[in-house]
Amino acid sequence: MTFTQDQSTVTEISPRELYARLLSAQPLFILDVRNEDEFKRMPVEGHATLRTLNLPYFDFIEDEEAALARLPKDVEEVVVICAKGGASQYVAEVLNNHGYRAVSLTDGMIGWGNYYDVRDVASAAWGRIVQIARPARGDLSFAIISDGQAALVDPLRHINVYRELIEGAGAKLTAILDTHVHADHISGGPALAKETGAPYYIHPYDAIHPIDMLPAVIAYEPLRDGQVFQIGQVRVTSIWYPGHTLGQVNFLAETPDGGRYLFTGDGIFLRSFGRPDLGGKGEAWTPILYRSMFEWLPRYLTDDTMILPAHFSTLDEDAGNGIFAAPYKQVLAQNDSLKPRTLEEFTSYVLSHLPVFPPEYVEIKRVNIGLVEPCDGKANELELGKNICALAG
Amino acid sequence: MPHFDQTLDVKGAKCPMPLVKSRKAITELPVGQVLQVISTDRGSVADFQGWVKTAKNVELVAQETVQENGQELYVHYLRRTA
Ligand SMILES: [Fe+2]
Repeated sequence: MTFTQDQSTVTEISPRELYARLLSAQPLFILDVRNEDEFKRMPVEGHATLRTLNLPYFDFIEDEEAALARLPKDVEEVVVICAKGGASQYVAEVLNNHGYRAVSLTDGMIGWGNYYDVRDVASAAWGRIVQIARPARGDLSFAIISDGQAALVDPLRHINVYRELIEGAGAKLTAILDTHVHADHISGGPALAKETGAPYYIHPYDAIHPIDMLPAVIAYEPLRDGQVFQIGQVRVTSIWYPGHTLGQVNFLAETPDGGRYLFTGDGIFLRSFGRPDLGGKGEAWTPILYRSMFEWLPRYLTDDTMILPAHFSTLDEDAGNGIFAAPYKQVLAQNDSLKPRTLEEFTSYVLSHLPVFPPEYVEIKRVNIGLVEPCDGKANELELGKNICALAG
Repeated sequence: MPHFDQTLDVKGAKCPMPLVKSRKAITELPVGQVLQVISTDRGSVADFQGWVKTAKNVELVAQETVQENGQELYVHYLRRTA
């Protein structure tokens, strides 16, 4: 067969279309043609209706018939995925020549990994709260926009998404708020501060690398417990919540219509909570997290406070509209990890639910406080794979 | 540098072309001879390793990374075994 990448007639599916399909929970079949290691490190994940098969593209080159024989016969459409979008075109063309209807994901996993989804959590006369998600990693960030002012919570690495959003809303960025110094991804905060002049806030306890014990060399404003930011008509209060990191905070946004939105960062998640061991001192930090979670958090939570974490673990946490948020009452009902426990029970719960500690997380924290400056390629590599900030379910 | 009999230059070719062209070249290579494949595609390193695991008549003799004019070259040595 002849094949030239530039003249491929294979239909493509964009990351945006793929995400819509994944969210819809309609049956979907993905054929991932990367090698096994790459596939295992970061597969495309969806609801239970998603079926995925890993069959490297070189199996199709080596023995087309044998590879084709391994495909299920009952699939109507195949979404073919590879690393950059070239091999998936090749395989999709093979499939199309054999009676399948195959489409190829544009730019492969690079395109998927760097795809951002933007949608409103709330929109009213006072302004908007916007969720900016990076679905491949399960990363969530937020914008609060009111009366021409904007604040960002936990902005991610690709900062143009935020600049376009804020410009499009005709607003000015007045505060960049990170709930903590992240270990799993590179923050967009410092770069946004440099480009826009808006102040970048982190709690000073997070400005020291917990393992190197070296201070941040980026420019930041030290965040105080109880510090208030007035973003137009929205009042945002920082609440110290140590445990996942020593300087982790929650941000409570209160809107004029009585709405309460709590940005929990890697504090509590919808189905889990943030692990206390990523600073390398899990034993010492677990009791601190316990106090934050069971003594401090209930004081400022009401049943209808919307919980908006910095991560989701699976698409099943979607509220049904692509928004990964829920009222506190509902979170309590569906999140077994938040059940009342004694400190002893809590400690053994944490110990028995700790996932692997990705070694690159130590380096990512260095990047986030300016101790290391990676090039683009290195940054992509550090951020490969989904976040592992939550305790395992 | 390992011994080789023929060279295939796939510099600039993107995935899957380095492997597509190598497969074709191996088919035209006399049994026992070694093909040197020069690629600029970094992904080819892991992919060639994966491919030869199930490939019928190909053995991966060696792989090396060399610098040429500031760019990385990924060089593979493939022997036709049957
Ligand atoms: Fe995280």
